[in-house]
Amino acid sequence: MIHVGKNTRSTIVSKGISAGHGQNSYRGLVKIQKSATNSRNFSQCDSLLLGNKCGAHTFPYIEVKNTSSRVEHEASTSKIGEDQIFYCNQRGLATQDAVNMIVNGFCKEVFRELPMEFAVEAQKLLGVSLEGSVG
Amino acid sequence: MKPILEIKNLTAGVEDKQILKGVDLTINEGEVHAVMGPNGSGKSTLAAILAGRDGYDVTAGEVLYEGKDLLDMKPEERAREGVFLAFQYPIEIPGVNSTYFLKSALNEVRKHNGDSELDAIEFLSLVKVKMKLLELNEDLLRRSVNEGFSGGEKKRNEIFQMAVLEPRLAILDETDSGLDIDALKIVSNGVNKLRRSNNAQLVITHYQRLLDYIIPDFVHVLVDGKIVRTGDKSLAFELEERGYDWIMREEAVTA
Repeated sequence: MIHVGKNTRSTIVSKGISAGHGQNSYRGLVKIQKSATNSRNFSQCDSLLLGNKCGAHTFPYIEVKNTSSRVEHEASTSKIGEDQIFYCNQRGLATQDAVNMIVNGFCKEVFRELPMEFAVEAQKLLGVSLEGSVG
Repeated sequence: MKPILEIKNLTAGVEDKQILKGVDLTINEGEVHAVMGPNGSGKSTLAAILAGRDGYDVTAGEVLYEGKDLLDMKPEERAREGVFLAFQYPIEIPGVNSTYFLKSALNEVRKHNGDSELDAIEFLSLVKVKMKLLELNEDLLRRSVNEGFSGGEKKRNEIFQMAVLEPRLAILDETDSGLDIDALKIVSNGVNKLRRSNNAQLVITHYQRLLDYIIPDFVHVLVDGKIVRTGDKSLAFELEERGYDWIMREEAVTA
């Protein structure tokens, strides 16, 4: 993300999911040029871990060339807990459905922004690719 | 009277620590049973084993639910068969909408029973009726499951889920803990209204206070993994007055 004009604003939302032995990293540059006075950026990186052999890494790069801009970065990592799965099980949901539900909840913020057809597709794809990744 | 749950000589623990040392308990249709006991006596373990939580080893005994081997079923099968656990600490599931969660849960149960699944409109009209029972704000349904709920809201939400799912056997694990007196009344009132001649409730609690509102048919005292005393409501009063010590002392004498 490169800010050139003054009073410009941007938001970055990154959601990463790691399963099995997967590692995921976010690496992103936010560059605010000298001309971009009073510009703002907000970056948010959330990672979700499925299982205990995977990992998530966040490498935010920030370059700011003026003093009036504001750049924020926020990162979170969460793990689908056995407790969450058990809670869903106890309400009658199978483990696979519970994982799908939790993962979709995690991605909702991003999916919401997608065009309908694509969001439906993405949701299904996620369901397929995570099959059997927990348990 | 048909038994819903029969626990016979249930012995269980975690790793090499024995927690339950031979529990016998039979719950018939239409009955409300209370299990009381001091901290660490195994009350919550009993609830967890009945619901099928991982990590407990059953070393002896059996549990029959409507004549079937309960311990042989997966947690989700138990839930679909009508076993409901109101959690002592309800779990938060960020990003998952409460309505969606509950609708999926209800439809799993209906599917299991061979009923048709409810669509969104039918479901919402059902939910509206049930929400009144617990005096819950509709705004809770728009939020994520238990996320950002106050302690009281979480507990009320558990009973609300129970109202929607209409289980045959409801296990309430210290549902009264963390509730103020008003919330306690609302929750108890909700539980009482869910009492039917063909279902049963197992209420686990520390205090007699809850039993002022949810009147049990039987009170069991669980001490050190065993039910040492069974009585009616008056036993709860006696415990409130005299504490658990006297029972433990008497046990020590007879043992």
